[in-house]
Amino acid sequence: MSAFTDRLQYLEFKKKDAQIRVLTLGTFEVFENGRFISSKAWGRDKTLQLFQFFITSRHRRSLHKEQIIDRLWEETASIDGDRDFKVALHGIHKVLEPDRAPRTEPKYIIRQGVSYQLNHEYIWIDAQALEEYVKLGNEAVSTEITTASSAYRAALDLYKGTYLPDRSFYDWTSEERERLHVLVLSAYLSLAELLLEVHPLETVRLTQAAILLDNTWEDAYQLQMKAFLAKGNRPAAIKVYHRCVAILDKEFGLDPLPETQHIFDTIV
Amino acid sequence: MAQNNNQTASFMLRFTQKIFEDEKGTPQVQWRGKISHIQGGEQENFVEVTDAIKFIKVKLSELTKKATKDKTPEEQEGILVRSLDIWKKISSTGAKMAFETIKDPRKGVAHIQEQISQVGEDIGQRLEIDEWRGATKSDFKSIMETLENVTTQLHTLNKKVDQLSKNKK
Repeated sequence: MSAFTDRLQYLEFKKKDAQIRVLTLGTFEVFENGRFISSKAWGRDKTLQLFQFFITSRHRRSLHKEQIIDRLWEETASIDGDRDFKVALHGIHKVLEPDRAPRTEPKYIIRQGVSYQLNHEYIWIDAQALEEYVKLGNEAVSTEITTASSAYRAALDLYKGTYLPDRSFYDWTSEERERLHVLVLSAYLSLAELLLEVHPLETVRLTQAAILLDNTWEDAYQLQMKAFLAKGNRPAAIKVYHRCVAILDKEFGLDPLPETQHIFDTIV
Repeated sequence: MAQNNNQTASFMLRFTQKIFEDEKGTPQVQWRGKISHIQGGEQENFVEVTDAIKFIKVKLSELTKKATKDKTPEEQEGILVRSLDIWKKISSTGAKMAFETIKDPRKGVAHIQEQISQVGEDIGQRLEIDEWRGATKSDFKSIMETLENVTTQLHTLNKKVDQLSKNKK
């Protein structure tokens, strides 16, 4: 077994082993030791928002209380913000650890002075896992194609839609949403390219999914044309080219790249 | 979920780079952009940055209109004109300035400095301090972020000018 397959297994294990599992892609669902936590359990929306903010800011490790209040309670006077933050944090602890003994430290949100962070040891987040799978796929792609394919596949299986869809209009989620969006597009195309020769119809499916996410992604059209060509379906490849031309003209007023044109020339 | 209604408009810009060779074999770069208005959810693709600025301008005007809907039409128009002033300046001179900067970086820097001092004078003349008494923490934060952004851009530009001067020597 290689280091890459070890990592792949570890990622699978981490998902099964986690005490808290959070789904953020296309939905928002939290499970505590397999028990689904209903949206009603969060009570106030700010409690839920604060938990989602911790998840969204997970890359920053530790967050200063003031930073959090500034983003989530920006219109509130600082004294009220402080109180509201404490109430919301207490709400999270209550939801995630309903049976925690009094005067014991919370397990899932760690406090260090006035800074807070998620305890990644116990929490599994789909968006985080997706990123780790894509990273693994990218690293393995030049030496271990099978592992790379499995990693990309695992990443894309996790993608059920946009990041925190219920918070689309909140700007503290937009950066993460955009980052994941581009990451998913790149994973679709990487896997589609890997499968072009062995499974061209799967390349077609994957590129279609990428085009659904962003219909101006020209690389996806190129791969789809090649896949149809590999299957000997020239009319479908020509159709894809014309769709690409129409979209690029409509959205940018541009012609396709010479490379796209070149693929088309080999078809006709 | 309801739209987050406040005085903030956030925009997300995505640029995708396409490098290719034209018919003569000369390398070319093309930038394709997408701008999204976070609070409203609208998106637009663009090739020219001025189109992105136009998009921002429209969204900000809508925000100003919404915030001033209780004012008289005259007052509303006045506020709107003032609100749009800075965008007019950027959209009318932005692309030209960028082009000139590439041709002659020193002139470009001088141009930017001139614009900054002009804006400074404008602000000095136009700002009614009473209007800023109710400014929120996020207003100041936004100003700080804009200033930091401008500083970074000036720093980058200065570096490029220095590099070009070195190359010339």
